[in-house]
This record gives sequence, structure tokens and C-alpha cells, in this order.
Amino acid sequence: MPQIDPNHIARTQFWRRPQLDRRLFFKHLSTAVGGYMLMPSRPLETVARAAAAPINKAKNVIFVMMRGAPSHIDTFDLKQGPWLPNAYNPTSYDGVAFPQGLFPVLASQMDRIALLRSVKPWVVVHQLGQDWVEIGRNPISGLSRIAPHIGSVVSLELGDRAKPLPAFINLNTTSGPSSGYLSPVHAPFYVSPNGGGLLNTRHPDAQAAFDRRFALLQELDTEIRAESTLNPAGEEMEQFNTAARKLMYNPDVDKIFNFDTAERVRYGTSGFGNACLTARNLLRSGLGTRFVQINVGSWDHHANIYTGPLNPSNANSLGRQFDAGLGTLIQDLGNDGLLDDTLVMAMGEFGRTIGPLNITAGRDHFAQQGVLVAGAGVRGKRAIGETDASGRGILDYGWKNDRPIRTEDIEATIYSALGINWLTIRRDDPFGRGFEYVPEANAGSYEPVHELWS
Amino acid sequence: MIRGFLLAVPLSLSLSVGYAQEALIDQTPDHTMDPGVNCSFRVNPDEFVDAAAKARAAAYQRVVKFSHAALTDSKGATLAPAQVPVRNFVDEEIFAALQKSGVRSARLSTDHEFVRRIYLDLTGRIPTPTQIREFVSSQEPAKRAELIDKLLYSPEFVDRWVLWFGDLVGNVSNNTFFSLRADGRNAYYSWMLESFSKTMSLKDLAWNSIVGKGNNFDVGPANYLLRSSTPGGPIQDTFDTAAYRASRDFLGMGHYDCVLCHNGRGRLDSLSLWGRNAMRADAQRMAAFFSRQRNVAVSSNNMDPRSLSRMVTDLPTGQYDLNTNFGNRPLRAPIGTVRNFTPEYRTGGVPKGGDWRGEFAEFMINDPMFARNFANRIWKQLFNQGLVEPVDQLDPLRLDPANPPPAPWTLQASNPMLLERLSQDLASKDFNLREFIRVLVNSSAYQLSAQYDDAWKLEYQPLFARHYPRRLEGEEVHDAIQLATGVLSTYRVAGFADPINWALKLPDPLEAGGTTLMNAFYRGNRDNVPRQQSGSIQQQLGLMNDTFVTNRVKMANSPVLRRIALSAVAKDLVEELYLTFLSRPPSLRESAKGIDLLAKANTTAAKNAVIEDLAWAMVNKLDFMFSY
Repeated sequence: MPQIDPNHIARTQFWRRPQLDRRLFFKHLSTAVGGYMLMPSRPLETVARAAAAPINKAKNVIFVMMRGAPSHIDTFDLKQGPWLPNAYNPTSYDGVAFPQGLFPVLASQMDRIALLRSVKPWVVVHQLGQDWVEIGRNPISGLSRIAPHIGSVVSLELGDRAKPLPAFINLNTTSGPSSGYLSPVHAPFYVSPNGGGLLNTRHPDAQAAFDRRFALLQELDTEIRAESTLNPAGEEMEQFNTAARKLMYNPDVDKIFNFDTAERVRYGTSGFGNACLTARNLLRSGLGTRFVQINVGSWDHHANIYTGPLNPSNANSLGRQFDAGLGTLIQDLGNDGLLDDTLVMAMGEFGRTIGPLNITAGRDHFAQQGVLVAGAGVRGKRAIGETDASGRGILDYGWKNDRPIRTEDIEATIYSALGINWLTIRRDDPFGRGFEYVPEANAGSYEPVHELWS
Repeated sequence: MIRGFLLAVPLSLSLSVGYAQEALIDQTPDHTMDPGVNCSFRVNPDEFVDAAAKARAAAYQRVVKFSHAALTDSKGATLAPAQVPVRNFVDEEIFAALQKSGVRSARLSTDHEFVRRIYLDLTGRIPTPTQIREFVSSQEPAKRAELIDKLLYSPEFVDRWVLWFGDLVGNVSNNTFFSLRADGRNAYYSWMLESFSKTMSLKDLAWNSIVGKGNNFDVGPANYLLRSSTPGGPIQDTFDTAAYRASRDFLGMGHYDCVLCHNGRGRLDSLSLWGRNAMRADAQRMAAFFSRQRNVAVSSNNMDPRSLSRMVTDLPTGQYDLNTNFGNRPLRAPIGTVRNFTPEYRTGGVPKGGDWRGEFAEFMINDPMFARNFANRIWKQLFNQGLVEPVDQLDPLRLDPANPPPAPWTLQASNPMLLERLSQDLASKDFNLREFIRVLVNSSAYQLSAQYDDAWKLEYQPLFARHYPRRLEGEEVHDAIQLATGVLSTYRVAGFADPINWALKLPDPLEAGGTTLMNAFYRGNRDNVPRQQSGSIQQQLGLMNDTFVTNRVKMANSPVLRRIALSAVAKDLVEELYLTFLSRPPSLRESAKGIDLLAKANTTAAKNAVIEDLAWAMVNKLDFMFSY
């Protein structure tokens, strides 16, 4: 498929050592550390950790992974050109252009929504880009082999084992980065909710049969487990089993995963809508889930973009379903009083080509993107960063740094919002080199976009 | 009769790729049951969980007393290392080390322990009751060696070890870097099957994977380097990935990934003696061997069966240029007047001709690290703990017992002489996988029991004083349940004309994806998510409630259960169930419980329900999940 030739993306280094531009070098010289951590011979372990002040506004995160890379100029960084169908109804919200026709429900929530428009991806390759977003670092690096999903780090930091549900739930997918080198307890718990309950929490032969069978199992297993309680693996199995049984026939859990047609319709009658609905229920329940990822896509619209997936006039198009699901979710969280505690983010792995459509009436891969942020007290109805009229180049980065917002900055923002120190370096990693929550953050390479809250 | 046994799974060693050491805290709250409280499970599930835990604790106390009392006449007592029969050099080294450390050895495995273990380790399948009885009842003194021989040359051996090799080389159609497409993956998979069936040596398998040329839909091994095509960077990133993967997979030297970005000094100083002095330029000279390889898109016309395939070829000229300023690794700039690198192997060899990949392959298979890498990995696959852990961080300067490293560095392997002898043995057998495995599994060391009746200390872990249990892989769980119940699945996989029934015959772990029981078992994706021996809530929910299990243990569906039900004598029926699912006879208590339930079943329907309940319990038992 057509892709941007990476050979023409000049100077998109992700690794700034040892060559630095003068500004960065002097910036570090002016701190007490003196820039010496940037010399090639210094091991990472001796880098002084600067003081971090996580902004600590949220308890939960709902992360919408828009797989396939949505077109930014038709969604979060709307550009109005002769190509844009009227049905998009471009509307200005305090100067922020937004496609009210494609995203009517989201548009009605604009005072809660901030848009990041100076975001640049590192790659325009799907799987690589998605993994990059999910682990917050280059998946090609050796570190990616041990790097956990951002949700797994959140589970490690904020998870409560006493609660029945896992801290990290991943909806509408069954694959992707897992817990890395962290304990499997923090692995994503995959669910594809259909409103009929949580899979495998009912015994198919009815509860009486389960109770009888489980009692039999306990009796039969006693001898072996008696010896095996002396060892880690058997104990681990028992603990997972106990946690599993707590989910079975549990009305609190059932309430989350059972929903009726009326609810489904409100959320747009789609798999994505069901997942949004479930995310709301998860947060309402307070049963332990803190990071919910919802996967939606494919947004890889190389063809027929305006007549197919992003057709505002078709309520069943991907764009409209996305809007119904996410917009209603933000609305309901607001009404429940949960929105202030919940950071909502929606992004893909990169953006799409700008200007008129391509030869197949679609858009191809492009190294520029937009991100939607809501909740957790972010100031809405505005955009951070500005691209030029076409959507290609960045005119204004919109934050304190004179550079685009990167995937790693988004990662730092999530941690900061949750009160997690994004400068953390864990010393328990199998490589013995230290595992950084946000790579290079201690060198100042990446940081949260705190401007969202100002 | 089962005595109960320890199931200590190896704990992480200091550099092990384990997960963070956290205590799994049981947070069951401390309830007391007030009178008048609604005591249904629905309302207060925690009470029931607690009650169950209390009942189990009480049962545990009873059984601990019972098993301690019975230990005196146990045939499970440990042995002095000198008492263990020495079958080959593996035993010489293992038991000499135990003797020297003053650590006792576990006893040898019983026939029941051995038969299940060897079937699983060599073929990924549990044995049938017929196979078990035949083996156990045989009076042939060499019966274990004969069974090993039979299994080594079985078709199931090919399936299981193609799975192992497929994991090693990362044969999967969809991955982060470069899609092989189903056709490419299938070509590589078929080639592996054929090669293993014909006992092609590991040396040839590796060599072919390095030099494979042609259309990747036709030439299976061409897919190995195709996967190194690295997006988002200049072509030198691809050369680097190729060198790194080959070094990691075939030499066990995963530190090349670090050194291809930066010199080792200042970073690998405490990890690798080789690494601390390794220079990026030298690693790039290794990568230069791959600098003439290209892959060329064949066709995008969807009607063409070769659509989306790649031609893997080599240019006649080219070298590793030092001229990049973007991408996945730090910039590559000229060093003085040196503007590019030509190949130089890590031990100093340079190519004589222009077929650089072929020359790399020659250097590689003759590199002592090649033998050490495979010896260690195959050892780990069978003994469930490598002689060096992690298996992809071998340090060439710390492996040769004849040339130990300077203090404070130590030899890397837990038994350095053993690893050297294994490497030499493997090389002397021309890297014949079956013959090498034969040596390992015929040793007494492999055939020790997992039970260890003396106090086990953490210091014993590197010594292999007993057999270390492992969890079954997802594929093994799936196939064991199928074999035990006789109910097969069918999977349709792109490129395979006939449906596939057995998980061990799937070409990669992403096939049969989705929220199935098997996939709750962390099969990995042969890319950035490794295969893991971890438990999970969904594994437990699945084993208890997934229709994959509950449908298969129904009498109406399972021919095996129906046959078992015909047994007239309750004792025989229960024994047959245990042999079918758990590959062993029941203990006295287990047998008594089963007989008791059957005695109380007055109708055929009631009897069938008991059998179904027992079958369900078998699948959920702790020892079903493990190979011990």
C-alpha cells in the first residue's frame, strides 16, 4: 500500500544522544547536572532524576485506540477545502474548527474536549505505530521485548488486588503488547462485550452443577495442593482461580457486562458502542478497573473515504458510530460525575494525506496527527498547537517546548494525569539497565502536556 | 499411588527474563458470618470463597499429617549422588556437581511420572492409557530407551519441535516489521516440517535460513531474513536487524542489539564481559554481511497468486555505508576517512568472495557459540531451566571452562563443563537434533523425579537435583483435552486445503486466535510478545466454564467417556479416567472418592453425571496443567 517514503523524513531522530542541537545542550548545561549525562560514556544508571510533579487529576483512563490511522484533517484537525463534503458541517467552537456533521454528539460536548494538533508520529507503519503508542517507546528497540503496555504500568502503580476486576481491561481486541517483564497479573484482560455478560462467568451446565463439580475438584486436589502450597506456581494458580470465581455469578460484575437494546442504541448500536458502554459501566462499578483501552477501526482509509467510512450522512458509518459511542460516553461520564476523575483520550498511530483525495478517493499515510482529550479537568473547547492551512506543517507547537508533541509525551501525560511519576526508572528489569516509564524523560527529551490543564 | 509431590517451578535467576518479583497477596477479607444474613452465594460470594478456603485449609492440615506420617516408608526418599546410575556424560557432570556441593539427588522418576513427561516433552501430547499400560507393564530393561527412540522418530515429534523452531526463528505471518503473508509463513512452515522429517541437521536449518533466496512464497527459509526488513529507517537498520536476529537466534548473543546502537563500555559493563569491550563498529561489520541482501516486491495485482510476495536476492556490489541521520538507531557517520564497512565476522573472518550471506552462514555454523547456543536452548526445552539464563544473553568470554574469566567475573553456565561437553557432543553429531535429544533424555539427570523429599533450598536451583516441572503450553492443553475426550476441533487456516484438528499442527500461534481457551495461555506472537509460562484469571475461567471443556466432557459428545463408562467395575472405571486425563493411576483417596460417587449413582443417567463431573474435575486439577 502507498506509504510515505521514510527516506524523505529528514532529521526525525528519536534518539538525541550523542548529537545534540545547541539549544538542548545549553539548556542542560544550565541545570546543575551540567549535561554530562549526555556524554556517550555515562551509563544511564547514574542519571540524576529530576523532581517530577505529576499533575494528578485523574483516577482512571479511557484510551481509545483508533487502529489504522484516522485522517486528521477530516476529524481532529479539520481543514476546509473544496474536497470536503458539505455534510461535514464544519463549525467553529471558539475558533476551533470541528466537523459537527460527522461528529454531532462529540460536537455537543466540545466544552469538555481539547484537541492536540501539533502531534507528530515517529513512523507511518501500522503495526509498528500502534505498538509504539501502546508501549510508549520504539518497538524496534531492544527494550520493547520487555516493555509493558502503558495500561500494565498503570495496573502496577494503581491496581488494587483486593478488588475483583483487573486494573487493566482491553476491549475489542485479543492481541497486542502485554505486561512485558511485569507480573502477568498486570496483563491486559481482554473482553469483547456483547451485552450478554462476561464470557465464561457462568457454568454452561448451570450453577448447581458448578458448585457440585467444584466441591469435587477441591476434594480430589487436596493432596496435591497440600504439597503444592509450598511452591509458587501452584499458589499462583490458586490465586488466579479464587479471583476467577469471584467474577462468577457476581451481580456487580454482571451489571457491568449485561446491557439491553435501548442502551446499545443510545451508544450507536455497534461493537465500539458496546465497548464504550462497558467502559462507563466499569468505571461506575468501582470494582478495580483503572485503565480501559477501547479498540476501534480500521481507520486505514486509502479509498472511498467520504462515501464510505467517514460519510456523515450514514449513521452506520465508522465515523458516526465512533461519534455516537465516544460522545455518549463522555456525556454519561459527565452526568455520572465521573468525568472529572477520568482522562479520556482518542488517537490513532498517525494521520493521513492532506488536501484533495488520492486516486482511489481516499487518503494515505501521513506523518502528522491529531489527538482528542477530554475529562480529568482538562480545559475544553480549544486546540493546543496549530498546523498550517493544509494540515501539513506545524505553525505553532502550542506548548512550552519548541517541538512537536510525540508519542512519548502522550505517554508522560497519561502518567502525570494519574499521579504517576513519569520519570520513574525501575531497577527490577531483566536487562539490568533500568526500565524507564518514559524513555529519555530524565534527560528532558519528553514530558507531559500540562498545558491541557491551563 | 500418588504421594503428593513438590511442584516448585524454577524461580527467576539473577539475570532471568522473569517478571517483577511481587508477592501475590491474598486479600480475602476477614468476614464473620452473622446469624440471619442471607447466605446465598449470589449475595455473599466472599463468604463462600472464605468457607471454601477454610475447608481446604482444614483438609490441608489433615493431609499434611497423613503425608508426613507416611514418609518413613516412602519410596520417594532422596538419593546420594553416588547412588544414581550414570548413563552418559550428562550424569557424570550433574552428579559430580551434586556430590561436590553435598546436595542429595531426587530419586528416579517412576514409570508413570516418566511416561507422561517424555510424551509431552518429545511430542507435546499426553500418552493414552494403552500406551501407558504397555510401557509400565513391560519388563524390558531398556524400555525407557526404546520408548525414547520410538517417540524421537514419530510424526508428533516433528510437530512439537517444528513449533519450537518456529518460535525460535519467529515464523509468523503478521508482525511489527514485515508481513510474510500466510503464503510465506506456510512455505517456511512446510519446509521446516519436511526438514525435520528428513532429520535435516540444525546446522543446515540455520544455514539455509541465512542464505535463503528466491520468492518467499516458494522458498521457505527465505522468510527468515525477510522478517528483518525494518520500517521507519534507512536500509542500514535492516542490515542491523538481520545481524542481531541471526546472532540472537543462532549464536545466543542478543547483546548485539545493544551494541548496534552504541559501544558496550559504560553500559554493558556489569552484564557481559564480551559486551563491555564490544564496539559498535565491529557489530556493524557483522551487519555488513547482510548489506547486499534486498527484497523486491513481486506484484500487486490481486489476481496473481504471487501477489504480495517478495523476491529475496543479493546485489553483486554494495557495503555498509556510514551515512544515516535518522531512523531507529543513532546516526552512522564516517570515522575519519572510513566511509563504509565491509564484512568482518566477530572472530575475525572476512569473506573470500562476493556471496556475503553464504560466508556469514559458514562462519556462523563453525562458531563455537553456535553449538553452545543450541545446546543451551535444547537443554532448557527439556530440563525447563537453561544452563545459562536468559538463553539469548550468552557471553562468549565466560563460557569456556578452560579459559575462565578474570575475577570478579564467573563462568556464566551453572555447570560450565557440562555446557561445553554438550556443545561438543552436539557438534560431533553434526547437529542432529534427535540424536542430541536422545543423549539428554536418556540421562538419569533428566529422569529424576520432580519430588524431593528433603528440604529444598534455593541454592540447589542451579544444580538440577530434581526435575523441574513446567506448565503445559496452550497448544498442549488444547490437544490434551481433545485426546482425553476424543472430541476434535477443526480450524481452517489460509493455505491449508484440509482443516486442522490439532493445535500442535497450527503453523503459528496467531492462527485460531480470538478469545478461545487456548489463547488464554500466552502462546506469544513470535514477535514482541514472547511465549510465557504464566497463569491468568481467564485461563481459570476458561478451564472451569468454557464450552471447549464442558462440551467435551459430556457423555453424549465424547467417545472416550462412553467407552470408559462401559467398565463394569467402579475401581477400573476410575483408574481408566485417571490414566486418560492425568496419565497416572489415582491415589487411594482419589480412587475411594470416585468409587463412592459411582456407588451412590443408581441410574445410568446418574452414573453418567458422575463420570462427567470427574472428567471436568480432571481437566481442572492442578496436575493436569503441569508436566512434572
